[in-house]
Amino acid sequence: MATRIFVPRDAAARAVGADKVAAAIVDEARRVGVDVEVVRTGSRGLFWLEPMVEVTAPAGRVAFGPVAVKDVAGLVATRFATSHALCLGRPEDIPFLKRQTRFTFARCGVIEPLSIADYRATGGWRGLERARSLGPTATIEEVTKSGLRGRGGAGFPTGIKWKTVADTPAGRKYIVCNADEGDSGTYADRMIMEGDPFLLIEGMAIAGFAVGATKGYVYIRSEYPDAIRIMERAVTIAEAQDLLGQKAGFEIEIRVGAGAYVCGEETSLLESLEGRRGQVRAKPPLPAHKGLFGRPTVINNVISLVSVPAILAEGAKNYADLGVGRSRGTMPIQLAGNVKYGGLFEAAFGLSLGEIVDDIGGGTASGRSVRAVQVGGPLGAYFPRSLFDTPFDYESFAALDGLIGHGGVVVFDDTVDMARQARFALEFCAIESCGKCTPCRIGSVRGMETVDKIIRGERAAANLALITDLCQTLKFGSLCALGGFTPYPVMSAIRHFPEDFDRPQLKTAAA
Amino acid sequence: MSLVHEIDFGTPVSKSSDRVTLTIDGQSVTVPAGTSIMRATMEIGTKVPKLCATDSVDAFGSCRLCLVEIAGRPGTPASCTTPVAAGMAVSTQTERLKQIRKGVMELYISDHPLDCLTCAANGDCELQDMAGAVGLRDVRYGYDGANHTKQAKDESNPYFTFDPSKCIVCSRCVRACEEVQGTFALTIQGRGFDSKVAAGMAEPFVDSECVSCGACVQACPTATLSEKSVIEIGVPEHSVVTTCAYCGVGCSFKAEMRGEELVRMVPYKDGKANRGHSCVKGRFAWGYAHHRERILKPMIRETIDQPWREVTWEVAIERVASEFKRLQAKYGRLAIGGITSSRCTNEETYLVQKLVRGGFGNNNVDTCARVCHSPTGYGLKTAFGTSAGTQDFDSVEQADVILVIGANPTDAHPVFASRMKKRLREGAKLIVIDPRRIDLVRMPHIEAQHHLPLRPGTNAAVLNAIAHAIVAEGLVNERFVREYCDRDAFEHWAAFVSEPQNSPEAVGLMAGVSAEAIRGAARLYASGKNSAIYYGLGVTEHSQGTTAVMALANLAMATGNLGRPGVGVNPLRGQNNVQGSCDMGSFPHELSGYRHISDDATRTMFEKLWGRPLDSEPGLRIPNMFDAAVDGTFKGIYVQGEDILQSDPNTKHVQAALAAMECVVVQDLFLNETANYAHVFLPGSTFLEKDGTFTNAERRINRVRKVMTPKNGMADWEITLAIAKAMGFEMRYGHPSEIMDEIAGLTPTFAGVSYELLDRVGSVQWPCNEKAPLGTPVMHIGGFVRGKGNFMITEYVPTDERTGPRFPLLLTTGRILSQYNVGAQTRRTDNVVWHREDVLEIHPHDAEQRGVRDGDWVKLQSRAGETAVRAEITDRVAPGVVYTTFHHPGTQANVVTTEYSDWATNCPEYKVTAVQVSSSNGPSDWQREYAEQAEHSRRIAKVAAE
Amino acid sequence: MSDSTDKLVMMANQIGRFFTPQRDGEPIAAIADHLEKFWDPRMRAAIIAHAAKGGAGLDAPVRDAVKRLKDVKVRATL
Repeated sequence: MATRIFVPRDAAARAVGADKVAAAIVDEARRVGVDVEVVRTGSRGLFWLEPMVEVTAPAGRVAFGPVAVKDVAGLVATRFATSHALCLGRPEDIPFLKRQTRFTFARCGVIEPLSIADYRATGGWRGLERARSLGPTATIEEVTKSGLRGRGGAGFPTGIKWKTVADTPAGRKYIVCNADEGDSGTYADRMIMEGDPFLLIEGMAIAGFAVGATKGYVYIRSEYPDAIRIMERAVTIAEAQDLLGQKAGFEIEIRVGAGAYVCGEETSLLESLEGRRGQVRAKPPLPAHKGLFGRPTVINNVISLVSVPAILAEGAKNYADLGVGRSRGTMPIQLAGNVKYGGLFEAAFGLSLGEIVDDIGGGTASGRSVRAVQVGGPLGAYFPRSLFDTPFDYESFAALDGLIGHGGVVVFDDTVDMARQARFALEFCAIESCGKCTPCRIGSVRGMETVDKIIRGERAAANLALITDLCQTLKFGSLCALGGFTPYPVMSAIRHFPEDFDRPQLKTAAA
Repeated sequence: MSLVHEIDFGTPVSKSSDRVTLTIDGQSVTVPAGTSIMRATMEIGTKVPKLCATDSVDAFGSCRLCLVEIAGRPGTPASCTTPVAAGMAVSTQTERLKQIRKGVMELYISDHPLDCLTCAANGDCELQDMAGAVGLRDVRYGYDGANHTKQAKDESNPYFTFDPSKCIVCSRCVRACEEVQGTFALTIQGRGFDSKVAAGMAEPFVDSECVSCGACVQACPTATLSEKSVIEIGVPEHSVVTTCAYCGVGCSFKAEMRGEELVRMVPYKDGKANRGHSCVKGRFAWGYAHHRERILKPMIRETIDQPWREVTWEVAIERVASEFKRLQAKYGRLAIGGITSSRCTNEETYLVQKLVRGGFGNNNVDTCARVCHSPTGYGLKTAFGTSAGTQDFDSVEQADVILVIGANPTDAHPVFASRMKKRLREGAKLIVIDPRRIDLVRMPHIEAQHHLPLRPGTNAAVLNAIAHAIVAEGLVNERFVREYCDRDAFEHWAAFVSEPQNSPEAVGLMAGVSAEAIRGAARLYASGKNSAIYYGLGVTEHSQGTTAVMALANLAMATGNLGRPGVGVNPLRGQNNVQGSCDMGSFPHELSGYRHISDDATRTMFEKLWGRPLDSEPGLRIPNMFDAAVDGTFKGIYVQGEDILQSDPNTKHVQAALAAMECVVVQDLFLNETANYAHVFLPGSTFLEKDGTFTNAERRINRVRKVMTPKNGMADWEITLAIAKAMGFEMRYGHPSEIMDEIAGLTPTFAGVSYELLDRVGSVQWPCNEKAPLGTPVMHIGGFVRGKGNFMITEYVPTDERTGPRFPLLLTTGRILSQYNVGAQTRRTDNVVWHREDVLEIHPHDAEQRGVRDGDWVKLQSRAGETAVRAEITDRVAPGVVYTTFHHPGTQANVVTTEYSDWATNCPEYKVTAVQVSSSNGPSDWQREYAEQAEHSRRIAKVAAE
Repeated sequence: MSDSTDKLVMMANQIGRFFTPQRDGEPIAAIADHLEKFWDPRMRAAIIAHAAKGGAGLDAPVRDAVKRLKDVKVRATL
């Protein structure tokens, strides 16, 4: 029997040579006459170890990594002996994985993503089956009881959103999956779509069943070609088995975005899906009442939807037992930036920021000290070391004018210039602004110009006051979260790192 | 006098019947559910600052000035996008709101030129008002940052400028173009700070899809989109509400003035026909009123080859009276007649017919409705009992299926078309029956479910085939027919349409339409919850025009689509007062209110009041007048405000008729084509210069108000009075309102109409009387005016106008948006930039066969005559069909059309002429002779001052 | 027969072709009624005169209808 060798085909692994490693293994095995079967999986999310290759062994799988093409000959020659220098032992025993609670990402990196048999064999479709046996109302109750909240960043209780759609009478309703994962340093959506696409299909089918929708859309950002391809193939495979399509009573269409960050905002996404300019809609009406094509629409983030099958399969209680306060269940924390152990870490809410950055992330990759951490994407607040005791949950972060957003954690060392980071936030807002509302359209540009003046040391105090006023206007005046959240990074930088804003006047050539 | 200010409630009215009570700044207010907080706030007179909201378009929520706080809710929601809720407590002024508003204004002004004092909108600028309202005193960002203040103006549109440097990107123009006009010509280009308004693909406005309706200009809160007239003259200081004098939609406008100078025409929101919208003609094309070619002095001459001589009004009027008296003495009482104008007011048309009947002592009076909608009057009266459309325009908002046949509303009735398009974008289904692929068939966010491009002349057959399918497929509304219609007539009709020659298969083959399309249209029309028919001259201007109108009435009755909002049979009237001129007794056979002249009781009533005996015999209709003139029995005519030579068919025949008359009196603004054959010219007054009323296509009587002194010295009604007096038939009226009082006294359907009522309620739709004191928006509710609905047999009779080897193509004619009918007015405005000449649309296949290339001169020839035009190759027309407009006398399309006409009314068959098209070097000999004659005839002798 | 008589014959026949297929009422009376109500006296006089001379070109029902028309006399004054 051929030895099964697992090589991730996740985009992050491919970026560091996984395809070449996979090809080298096949070539080398053929050359030396070893019978191997290379299986391409998702990623386990331990990026500093990618490409991480696993082989079947009597006691389960054994991991090697990071594997380079030059290592392949040796690995094959030794028949992937556990004595090899790159051997990591059983992947489940690697501390970074061992410390996780893989509730949602359980299959990711383990199974062959497009094998519907593997999916079923590992508990796939059980959530949908249970939902069907419960009926729509009880399914929604189950989701509500689990305490699941929107993982896109807003944290709105998923069950309540579903109930609103279910209670809105209409001939046609829609499920829209927001896979426009645009926050810098985040990749959970991409990983799960590439590593366990049927999970998203099952989650959407449950949502459709629960609210009475027969059609779903997955809106994937164009920068995710692998995820788009895999999701499209997964839909085709599921249709062929009547798990999707007319007979199944639920259809899914994959749609691709066009590069605008603001289309991750749900109403812009709907505009874009309808073929219009990606511009924010005023709410109300809520998408749950009048969403896609004016119909009641559930619009959920990928992670919200992929959390559902396990919640149904394992029961709401299992999920709700995890976490702290009103933040129940698990969150895939995505460690990025200047961090030693970058990767996806699924854990129950409640870890402290310090644990996440220092213990799990291992501090900076540069070896210098950590100065600031931005949590929740480019519009999240910067945290100084002094706040590392903050528990990772929605409320604790909100209390500090921060947000956990989509779970991105970006680490900076002590070389960072926080005034430039504040400018970057405004610049990001200016570049990504759809231009609809005035605070964001003009305010972002004026903000950039004003921070530039501060950096040049021009009337620093007056300009800091102006930036503070502008942030108030942006926060309360903006139409959507892009302008509304831009003050978080700006004001947190000013508040926690005031020394970076107190700058001497630059001598200009004219002066 | 001051400017008529209309309150901008910020967001559209909610139509909900549920009421919601809330408090705003401690004050309780009750409004319909679905109302925005902003609108509720305006209802109690509290102005929340706003820039992107205006009540003609849906809330957008972009400017962020109108934020409010709501007790118990987080944040600062926008009052425009947040609906009211019961018990809600709203605060419109808090410290936080003040700071945000000031912050937003500071951002706006940091990217706006500081030239208020020299800006055309100074004093009429919402940005300026808001800066004041929020108390902005300082722009701390300075003015050296990135900005848009150096962008170039687009002055390409003849009527308005686009100055992007003043734009605040509120999208009101873009939304008005989409939601109000439905053209989608404007967009926001770019994103974020680079967002800017662009016409089309960032083209100059005039080259874009823009139709110059003015909705964007009206919506603009700054000087970005400004009327050039305001830039030139300044902001207006007073205004008067009046009614547009172009098409039968009858839009209400505010004529905004400085002294006696008109600055701009602004659509009036409270106008029930237009609901605040306008088109390029009504909004902008009023410059003809002071065009240099306008004639302001009466003129006479003995023969038409003499130059004109200016004379006093007394001399001119005396000449008219003495000539008419002479002709009657010499040729008999019936030898003269008059034509009332559908362009003039009800009061004026009433007076002309009164002059003819009472003063001339005959019934030789007719009106231009003869050549457009006379079959509507006859057909609908026969079927329902009333010679008018059944609905109001608002009705379209409740239609689920709209059948448009023989009408091109986006060109000919643009403002109503916009309302129809809005309904279609909301999901109503559309059937178009027209030989041409009119714009409605496919345009942004609208696509007809069925387009039946039938051969011109086959309307009745196709409508019978639709009826066949409805009967065969059991789609008749039995309950409606049983309850409201004549049973025998229905049974006969049902048996008739079921005959095999009326099957979709048989008709389809002959009419060039697939049977499946006919059946599809039938099913859709019959199965709609509310199905409405809208039709125009493509139905009436045929030898079977009246038959087709009856066929439409039959369809509506058989499917029960009458007697409630959302349904009906709706003629789209061509001219501003076609309905009114018919109502006023302009037809030779009937008195006002459609009562036959032979009815003794009615006639006696008029005779008593007028003090004159009236002839009980019907008089000549316009085409009959021409025939009688050629025969030598009709010698003199008084033509008020109509250019029969250009607008009536078979120009050569009309020329011969006019030339045969001894006294042709033309009353008009300009020396029109008919005036080339006139002996007396009486300068007319524009709609801006007189009081009166127009009745639009929905039977709505709208006030026309004088905004300036008649430049010619007399309003048109005063001229008719003078002629009558000189003829010895004195009528005494001090004001047009007194004429209306007489009409009301004599006409049961107008019994309740008075200027006092119109001034009070704005407008009413007749019947307006004791039973309906505020008028009748929808007719035939709970039964037909005539009693039972009458199904007539509408057998298809092919026209005698047939194609053959000499004339193998069928010509059909129509209008274009920017021009109006004979073009006397629009050709004298900047509207000519969109349509400098008439062109001939021809299918690529037919063009190829004839070696005709796009833009080539071609000869257009029929058995009646020939002319030359430039060809435009397009597949809008089917092979075998060609199309042209009749706006330019240089083309004189009517030299080609024939004198064939509708069997019942003699309405000319403009829509079907067999023609040949061939290559040509330029204008025809006839055109050259015509032009020479016209130039010769228009000479005015220079005379010393009197 | 003059051009104008030709035209009147054509117009009268057009009217006839509408009323003849009607199944309610009597077509010939309807044709006559239409001519009475909508044709000016000189037109009626001409068609009556034409019918009196045999009515060449007139369809049969129309000829019958014209025969029913009352004689038209135009008074010089009312």
